[in-house]
Amino acid sequence: MKYPNPKVFRFKDHMDLKMQLDNIKEIAEITGDILKEKDWKDEFGKAGKDAAGFFKRVKMEAGLLKDMSPEEFKDFLINGEKQLGKLYANGHMATVRREWRGVKDTGVDFYEWCRMWAMLLTTFGKDLVPSLNGALNYRWMISYFCCHSFMDKNTLGLRGRALKMHHELIYAIFRFVAENLVLLMKGDEKGGNSVDLSKKVVLLDEMTMAQIMAGFPDLVGIPYQLMPVFLLSEIDQLACMPYIDAIESYGLPSDTCPVPTSECGACVIDALPHLGSCFISSSMPCDGSVMASSYTTRRFKDLPTYHLAFPVRYEDESVMKEAVEDIKGCIKFIEEQTGAKWNWDAYFAAMRRFNTETRYELQKWEVNQTPHPQLIGPCYELFRKWNYEMDGGLDPRIMKSFRKVDKLMMKAYEAGDEPWRGKMRHRAIVWSVPAHYYANFSNWLANCWGINVLVEMESLNYTRPLETEDKEEALKDMARLYERMVMRRHTNGGYDHVLTELWRQVEIWKPEIVIMYQHVSCKNMATLNGLFEDQAREHGVRLIWIEHDLMDPRTVSRKDMRSKVNEYMRTVMREEPLDPSLVDFEDDASW
Amino acid sequence: MRDLKHLIECEQLLEEADNELVRKEQAEGGLAIGYTCYHMPEVLLNVDRCFSVRLRAPRTGSIDIATYYMSNYTCEFARSLLERAIEGGYQFLDGLAAVDACSAMNRCSEHFEVLKVNSKPGFFVTHMDVPYKVEEYTIDAMVTQTRKRVLDVLAEKYGVDTSDEALRKAVEEHNEVCRIMTEIGELRKQENPPITGYEFHVLSLVSYCCPKRQILPILRETLEEIRTREPDPKPWYRARVVVIGSEIDDLDFTRLLEEAGAFVVADRYCYGTIPGREEIKLEPGKDVLRQICEHYMRTSECPRYMADDKVEQRRQTTDRLAREYKADGIVYEQMKYCDFWGFERPLASHILSEEYGWPVLSIDRTYQVRGSGQLRTRFQAFVEALEIKQIHREEDKG
Repeated sequence: MKYPNPKVFRFKDHMDLKMQLDNIKEIAEITGDILKEKDWKDEFGKAGKDAAGFFKRVKMEAGLLKDMSPEEFKDFLINGEKQLGKLYANGHMATVRREWRGVKDTGVDFYEWCRMWAMLLTTFGKDLVPSLNGALNYRWMISYFCCHSFMDKNTLGLRGRALKMHHELIYAIFRFVAENLVLLMKGDEKGGNSVDLSKKVVLLDEMTMAQIMAGFPDLVGIPYQLMPVFLLSEIDQLACMPYIDAIESYGLPSDTCPVPTSECGACVIDALPHLGSCFISSSMPCDGSVMASSYTTRRFKDLPTYHLAFPVRYEDESVMKEAVEDIKGCIKFIEEQTGAKWNWDAYFAAMRRFNTETRYELQKWEVNQTPHPQLIGPCYELFRKWNYEMDGGLDPRIMKSFRKVDKLMMKAYEAGDEPWRGKMRHRAIVWSVPAHYYANFSNWLANCWGINVLVEMESLNYTRPLETEDKEEALKDMARLYERMVMRRHTNGGYDHVLTELWRQVEIWKPEIVIMYQHVSCKNMATLNGLFEDQAREHGVRLIWIEHDLMDPRTVSRKDMRSKVNEYMRTVMREEPLDPSLVDFEDDASW
Repeated sequence: MRDLKHLIECEQLLEEADNELVRKEQAEGGLAIGYTCYHMPEVLLNVDRCFSVRLRAPRTGSIDIATYYMSNYTCEFARSLLERAIEGGYQFLDGLAAVDACSAMNRCSEHFEVLKVNSKPGFFVTHMDVPYKVEEYTIDAMVTQTRKRVLDVLAEKYGVDTSDEALRKAVEEHNEVCRIMTEIGELRKQENPPITGYEFHVLSLVSYCCPKRQILPILRETLEEIRTREPDPKPWYRARVVVIGSEIDDLDFTRLLEEAGAFVVADRYCYGTIPGREEIKLEPGKDVLRQICEHYMRTSECPRYMADDKVEQRRQTTDRLAREYKADGIVYEQMKYCDFWGFERPLASHILSEEYGWPVLSIDRTYQVRGSGQLRTRFQAFVEALEIKQIHREEDKG
C-alpha cells in the first residue's frame, strides 16, 4: 500500500461555511482595527530605517568584496562566506539574506530550497482549502510559513556532502509535517471537518511512539500536539509563549516543564484541532506528562482516551507482563473505537524496516566515533528523534533517505571530509535535554567555536533489533522500545540510566567536552546536578553547563545560552572563536 | 477543653525522626524501615519484627547541601530529607523502602544510596515500581513488586518472616491503629467536636512515625480520653475546611490555619489519615498480599494515578468529604515544585469551585510554613470570605 494512503486525502470535507465566514469576518475586523490603530508615521520611519540599513549592509558587503585579495575572492567564490554573524539583524525575525556557500554549494542549497517548496505546495495542494481555514483559525499554523528559515538555520556553515545529507534529512521531516498538517486541518471541525477522515484518525500523545500504529495500516496515527506545540517551538522560538502564559494565568505553577505546560495551555486557548476517533494518552516521559492528560481529557470530553502507562523501573524484567498487558489493552481499545483490526503482517513489515533504519543509524554512530566524524549537526539530531519516535518504520520512503545519506556519508568518510570544513577543533557530546527554542545550537557551537557535537543523549535510545516473527516476543520488544523512548530511556528507571550512562558514553565517544544542558524545569535531571558535578571531576570530564527553559526563551535567552559557552571557551580553554561575528549577536526576536 | 494527656509527649516524639519510641523498639530487636509515600504499603513494613517510620525532617534549617545535589527547583520535602540524611539524621534506619513514584522523591532515595548516608551494616535502599492505573494486571504487577522489592529483601537481609501469617498479624495491628484514628477522626464531623484539627494532626503523625506496638497504648488511652472529653460550650472555630493536597508533615501548617479560625475537619493529604487509616479487610481464602496491594491502590488519592476513573474518584472524594464533614470550604495545597499536585491543584480547584460549588482556596507552600506571613494572610482572608458567605446564606434563609 502506498504511504500515506492517498485515500485519506480524498475523503470528503464537510466544511461549516458559516463558521468560516464568521471567522473571516472576525479576522477582517481585527485586521481593520490593527490598521486603524497603527502609527503609520512610525511604520514608514521604520521602513525607511530598514531600507537605509539594507543599503548600508550592501555597501559594507561590497566593500568587503572589494578589499579581498584575488586568493581570498577565489576562496569566497568556491567555499563561501565565513562570517555568519552578519546574517543576523537586531529585532528581525528572519536573517538578512541566505548564506553564500560558494558557487556549487549555493546551487545545491538553492535546489533543495526549491525542492522543499515543491513538496510543500504539492502536499498542501492535496486539500488546500481546509489548510487555509486552519491558517485563519490557528495562530500556530502561521509559524509553519517559516519552515525554510528553520531549514536554513540548521544548515548554516555546511558545505559539500554534509550539506546534502542535512537537506535530505530535514526534507524527510518536513514531508511528514506537511502531510500531517494537511490531515489535521482536513479532519478538524474548524477546518475541513471531514467526518470520514476523523473516524480513521487515532491521536497520539506527542511523546507516544508511532510504532503501535504500524499494526493498523488502514488508520492514521497523528501525534496530537506535535504540530501545534512540540515541533512548533523548535521552528519558532516565540510560538509557545501564549500557551505558557494562558495556563499560568489559569493557576499552573511556573516551575513545571514547558512541554506539558504548553500542551495544557494549548487546551486552554483552544489551539488544538478537534478530530479523531480516540486519543492515546501516555505517562511518558515524566511526571508532568502524566498530569497533562487530565487537561486534554477535560477539553475533549467526547474523545475516548486510553492511558498508555508503562512501568518506570524498566530494567526489571518482572514488570514486563504489566507492560505487555498495557499494549494489548491499547490495541483492543483502538480496535473498539475504530472498528479496525490489528494486522501482524503490516506490523512486522514496518518493524523490519525500522530494524534496517536502526542499523543505518548505528553506522552513523560508528563513523562519528572515529577520529573522522561525518554526519553531525542539528538535522542529524532531529532526524534521529523524529525517526525513532514519529516515523518508527511506518513510512517506506524513509528507507531511500537512509540509503542516500549512508552512501554520501561513507563516501565522505573515505574522502576524509570534514562536516564543518576547517572547524573541527573539539569533539563533544550533548547530555540532558536540548532547548527546543535553540534546536540549532550545535550548529552555532561548530561555526563559532569548532565544538562538534557527535551525538545527543536523546538519540541514544533502544537499538536492539525488534522481533519480527514471534507475536508474544514482538509485544515484549514493543514494550522495551516504548519504555526507552526519547528522554524516558535516560530519565526514568534510576540514576544509572543517565548519570553512570554518561561516563559509559564518554568512554565510547571520547569527547573533550560535554555540553551539559540544564533544563531548569526538568526535575528528573535537576535532581542529579550535584552528582554530575562530583563525578565529572572524578572522571576528569569537562562539563559546560548551559541553562535553558526548553520552550520559553524568556527565562534564558539564546544569547544567554551562547554566553555560557563563550565564557567557558575564553576563560577555561583560553581560546579565540573561529568566527568572531558569531560571538555576540541579537536573535531574541528571530524565529 | 482540657489538654490531652499525651499531647505534649506526642509533640516531643515528632521533634526527631529517631524518637524515643523508635529507639526503644530498636533496643528490643525491632528493625526500622523508612518510607515516605502512600504507594509503599505501610503495613508490609510492619511485618514480623520490622516497624515502619514515615520519614520527616522536623526542625529543618538550611538545605544548602541538598540543594547542591538536587538544585533549587525541586521539592523542598525531598531536599529536606536528603539534607537530614547527609547530616546523619537517618543513621538509625535499617532500610529504606522507596517507590519510583515522583522524580524528586525517587532521586532523594537514590542519593541515600550513592552518597552512602547510612553506614549501618545491612542497611539497604530498595526501589519499587508503582503502576499508574488500577487494573487487574497492574494489581498483579504491584503484588510482584512488593514481593520482590520489599518482602523478599526483608527476608534476605534480616531473615524477616514474610509469610501470610506474619502479614495477617501486621494487618491486625495496623487495623487497630486505623480503628482508633478513624473513631477519633469521625468526631470532627460534630458541630462542636471534642478535638481540634491540630491535635488530630499530631496523633496522625505519631501513628505514622512511631512503631505501632509502642504507640498503640498511647492512642488507645487518648481515644478513651477523647470519648469523655467535654468540649467548650461554643465551637472555637469560625469556619470548617477540608485540606486536600500533597505532603504535610508540618504541624505548623494546621496550626496556622486554625489560628486563622479554620478548623481542619478532614485531612485528605499525604501523611494525613484519608487515605491511610482505613481498615484493610482481608477475606479468607484470598491471597493476602494481593488484597493488601489492592487496598492501597484503590484507596489511593494520588494524582499520579492518571486514568479517568481515578481522576474522577479524586474529585468525588473531595466533594464527599466536604459534605460529610460539613465543611464550609476546601483548601487545595501543594508543596512547591511538586509536579503532580502542581498540575492537579489548578484544575481540581477550578472544578470543585465551578462545578461542585465549593469555595476553594488554592495555594502552594514551602515545606515549613511557620514564618509565612503571606500564607497567614491568605488563610485569614479565606476564613473571612467563608464567614461572609455564611452570613449571606443566613440572610437569604431569613
